[in-house]
Amino acid sequence: MTFIDTSITKIAEIVKTNYVQWETARKNGLFQKLDPRLKAVFMLGCVAVISVKKELPAELAISGFIFILILLSRLNLIRIYKRILFFGFFFGFLIALPSALNVITQGDIIFRVAALSRPYHFWIYTIPAEIGITREGCYGVGILSLRVVNSVSVVLLILNTTHFFELVRSFKILRIPDTFLMIIILTYKYVFILSKTIEDIYLAMKSRLVGSIRNSEIREIVSGRIFYVFKLSRMRYEETYKAMLARGFTGEISLNAGRGFAGRDIVAGIALAGVLIIIIIL
Amino acid sequence: MHIPDGYLSPQTYLPLYAAFAGFMAAALRKMKKTLSAKNIPYLGMASAFSFLIMMFNVPIPGGTTGHAVGAGIVALILGPWTALIAVSVALIIQALLFGDGGITAIGANCVNMAVVMPFVSVWVFKLFRGKAPGGWRVYTAAFLSGYAGLAAAAVTTAVEFGIQPLIASSNGRPLYAPYGLEIALPVMALEHLLLFCVIEGLVTMLVLRYFLKNDPGSVYAMPRQSSAQAPRQSSAQAKEVK
Repeated sequence: MTFIDTSITKIAEIVKTNYVQWETARKNGLFQKLDPRLKAVFMLGCVAVISVKKELPAELAISGFIFILILLSRLNLIRIYKRILFFGFFFGFLIALPSALNVITQGDIIFRVAALSRPYHFWIYTIPAEIGITREGCYGVGILSLRVVNSVSVVLLILNTTHFFELVRSFKILRIPDTFLMIIILTYKYVFILSKTIEDIYLAMKSRLVGSIRNSEIREIVSGRIFYVFKLSRMRYEETYKAMLARGFTGEISLNAGRGFAGRDIVAGIALAGVLIIIIIL
Repeated sequence: MHIPDGYLSPQTYLPLYAAFAGFMAAALRKMKKTLSAKNIPYLGMASAFSFLIMMFNVPIPGGTTGHAVGAGIVALILGPWTALIAVSVALIIQALLFGDGGITAIGANCVNMAVVMPFVSVWVFKLFRGKAPGGWRVYTAAFLSGYAGLAAAAVTTAVEFGIQPLIASSNGRPLYAPYGLEIALPVMALEHLLLFCVIEGLVTMLVLRYFLKNDPGSVYAMPRQSSAQAPRQSSAQAKEVK
């Protein structure tokens, strides 16, 4: 019953992630105290800086900077870095690793992997006689892995210190239409409610299915569950719409822009912007 | 399929953000016109549905499990414009909440999976279904629509990866995605055409078959029946413009 266990694990992960983020967003750390709009702008600015920097020392400086921010925000270092390194390893290092070879990235070979009797040519591809890891390739792998690590780090820092609704609402500062932000908030709520329902569906399925079952039958069951979720979500939508009408909803959406920036936010904003500018100049 | 941060250069992700914003604005305008005040909870429901489809793992040959992206089936059930918004919102939540796909790559991911995939799926379905009211031709069209939709999205993603060494490298050093078109394109195409597209096609076909059997009125891609024949059709669905 691998498919059931995989699905349950996946859904449980959603629910767990939500709860953990709610908890950490309430901690008494540096970033938790800041205005969500400042954090949203910092997140976007930071990922933009990460994406334009082309030097390893600059990317390493960003890693160190985010590490300090995570520390000051009193987040669980082991839990958060387990996730960061997982993403960095699989989506950065592992995918980029073959590009360190001179078959893909030409350059000075620093480690010989294999030697062939002659180079081979096939259509648009060439395999050189000497295959090895190049300095240029290693640099590329390093910078790509660090970029992934840094981007995930900054996103997780913001997510773990900000309530999701506040974060989405703060995107109003970027002139994203309220209608779109409202859809995201509503979707998040539906997903959270329906995830629990799907978890129950799978647990019920697991308790009913004993012994071996044909894959075709499982696929039929899963199709039925997807149909059920659609019906359920449509029912929820009708109920939500009626509830919104009952509370005087006229179709006009306007999200509260929030209070003005406090002195603490302004000081933190200047400091964060200053560090990013120094990194850009590096 | 979810492109992480760091793989695309600014000269790629910024135009893709702009393209996505254009498509999204057009979709929201279209939905507002057809669904009026109901559009907010309706699109929330559609987005949650497209997010949750990815939670359903199905067993695939070889003893492993896989899940569909779901943009194809969402487009067949709700229409391509609704799917555009729904899948985009699902992708944005995935990026913001779980780190699945990068923040800088949101535009690219949405163009690939929320624009290319739903529209290709609906076109392919209409092309192969012809005027068939049901039966094997409809199911084949559903399979092909899921298959072709994901294949088109994978090829678009591969092109975005593959052009990086051409437009953003310094002294032979790759600065972003390191694999050129000659590697990115065949690798992405092969793994998708042989495995992932088959899963996508299969899920699209099975789910559509279930919908047609139990609630045909709720399927956008099939011709509307008379109101007596389709009593369960929602008002929001009825208003969606073909």
